[in-house]
Amino acid sequence: MATRASKFGRRKFLKGAAASAGLFTIVPPHVLGGPRHVPPSEMLGGALIGCGGRGPGTYKEMTKDLQVELRAQCDVKFRDKADNKMFYTDFRRVLERKDIDLVAIGTPPHWHALISIAAAEAGKDVLCEKPMTRFIAEGRAVVETFRRYKRIFQIGTFGRFGVSKQRNNIDTHKIMRSGLVKDNPGVYVKSGGLKVKEWSGRIDLAPQTPPASLDWDLYVGPSPWKPYVTRRHGGTHRGYWDYEGGGLADMAQHTLDPFQWIYGKDDTSPVEIEAFAPPAHPEVTGMWAWIEMKYADGFTLVLESGEWGTPYERKKARPVTLAGLDEETRAKVQALPDPEPLVTFAEAVKTRKQPGGNAEAAHRCATLLHLANIAIRTGRKIKYDPVKEEIVGDEFANRLVNVPMRAPWHL
Amino acid sequence: MITQDALREIVNRVPELDAKRGTFTGPTWEDAAAIFDAVLAAGREGVVGVVAMLHDTDDGQDYKARYVLHGLAQYLGRPGKEAARAVFVEALASQLGGERPKAVQGFVVRQLQVIGGKEAAPALGKLLGDPDVHEFAAQALVAIRSGAAEELRKALPGLKGGPRLTALQALGALADRDSAAELRAAAADADLDARLAALWALARIGDAESVDRVLKGADAAPGWERIRATSAALLLAERLIADGKKAEAFRVYRHLKDTRTDAAEAYVRDAAADALARAGG
Repeated sequence: MATRASKFGRRKFLKGAAASAGLFTIVPPHVLGGPRHVPPSEMLGGALIGCGGRGPGTYKEMTKDLQVELRAQCDVKFRDKADNKMFYTDFRRVLERKDIDLVAIGTPPHWHALISIAAAEAGKDVLCEKPMTRFIAEGRAVVETFRRYKRIFQIGTFGRFGVSKQRNNIDTHKIMRSGLVKDNPGVYVKSGGLKVKEWSGRIDLAPQTPPASLDWDLYVGPSPWKPYVTRRHGGTHRGYWDYEGGGLADMAQHTLDPFQWIYGKDDTSPVEIEAFAPPAHPEVTGMWAWIEMKYADGFTLVLESGEWGTPYERKKARPVTLAGLDEETRAKVQALPDPEPLVTFAEAVKTRKQPGGNAEAAHRCATLLHLANIAIRTGRKIKYDPVKEEIVGDEFANRLVNVPMRAPWHL
Repeated sequence: MITQDALREIVNRVPELDAKRGTFTGPTWEDAAAIFDAVLAAGREGVVGVVAMLHDTDDGQDYKARYVLHGLAQYLGRPGKEAARAVFVEALASQLGGERPKAVQGFVVRQLQVIGGKEAAPALGKLLGDPDVHEFAAQALVAIRSGAAEELRKALPGLKGGPRLTALQALGALADRDSAAELRAAAADADLDARLAALWALARIGDAESVDRVLKGADAAPGWERIRATSAALLLAERLIADGKKAEAFRVYRHLKDTRTDAAEAYVRDAAADALARAGG
């Protein structure tokens, strides 16, 4: 599941967590007291659901600048160690606990939305690994649930926090949000680095018996039932439509999270999406050349794999800068106030303000990944209504916007 | 009439796997369309012949036939392909419920989820009690929508266990008002998942007659049922307000506001109080 080397490896994490749990069992910090210890009223209870790959890193991000005690670890592969005290296989048992305040979600993406929603319903704040969702309707359901319960959601990519402090990006953000530029000629091109071949799925494997420690039924969860194949689990799940969306869904978020903020697209989505790719396989993700996404304001976003087919040549990259504006518009933009600094997850938990990578922003970012993959899978240019969040005039493509789930799991 | 050998020659035009990685890259759409058109030129028999190439286990050996059938499903979603789509869908639907292995039928159902319409609903409805493929059938019906609720309602009285739960959930996904009576009964089911599916379905429908049932579920002992049924109650209240049934919605909000007195449930109390205030209650 890991996309990059983690200094906070799983084995080290589990070992440390177990040791900590043992220590707290003997002498809890609130008993120790004193100036070097956090009083119990300030100590938050944390849980990690999905402990492989990026899980420990996601948990670490969640605890940054907060006092959090790890109280539960949950993974469908913990059948051999689950005690329903510290180790769990079923996330529902974790969310039932009143002493859990924060939940880090590091499962594969087909579980992200459902566990996030259930966590909010149980009163928890959430930091969820990217990509936020497996399909578009999941994202809207997460947004609505976190609004309903006034809980905090932060996606596990933080690129926007850095770029939003840079002057040139602040200027671009202000231009884009001002609405002063009509028929925006801006073009953003992301070329390469999307691990398209690396996260293409394998289709030459016969079903096997799952390991005894793995609850395969719970792993499959809301996705269509399939027999166990090793590659469907443990990081290589990315290559299967049932669980993620290939390198595009895995890697593009790193670029698109800062893109969304810089170009002011946190509350909207493209209206036309076109892909150049071969017809997709029904089960596994595969190769594609490029995806062009046009916004209603004229702005164009291009993702280019550089791993298949001919390069994208329709438009050249064209940044949106103050220098590109006429004098009058530039003056109007410069007169606008700078945006407020983004709120971190820790600040959000303490103040109940929405964090920088909140549910709506994360949902709009994930929507880009899903629209791109829908264009790849259908082989058709699609039109999208960013308000209704529906594909326009193509009922078959629209079926990929809201995918029915396997009972008892539903949005 | 096309022979199976001739059909196999067409399907074999699909590229080979990457032997080293086990991954697959299809042809360009232009080359693929030539393959798809060749199958379609053989009419219904061509489609049925490709289905006959599927193995009873997806062991990766029949990937070319699977790729062609799925590619056809996507290809025929294009404007102007309506006539060929009708032939394709009818041919796929004709392969359900008979002697084909269940894994093959499951794959066929999943292609109907991509491209099927109302005309496929009856064939899918007949699979709702099948222990092996009922989930695929229900998912396909929910995706197709048109004609789905009728099939689910027809099947529901004869279903038990997993197939019944799946059908209850599918009716909820479709927000089928005509199923409200059956869903109200299921809201008192002995099975927790069935109860929760029914409560969620009634909430999605915005069934004003279910306020007491949903609140009873929401007052379950602390745990998963209470969490999920409370969520259904809040959703029901939102739907009732959207339908102009404010009095019933206010009853839900006030109940949650008054009963969530434990500090651990203050977030529910706050959510209900805020929603009530926003709605003018």
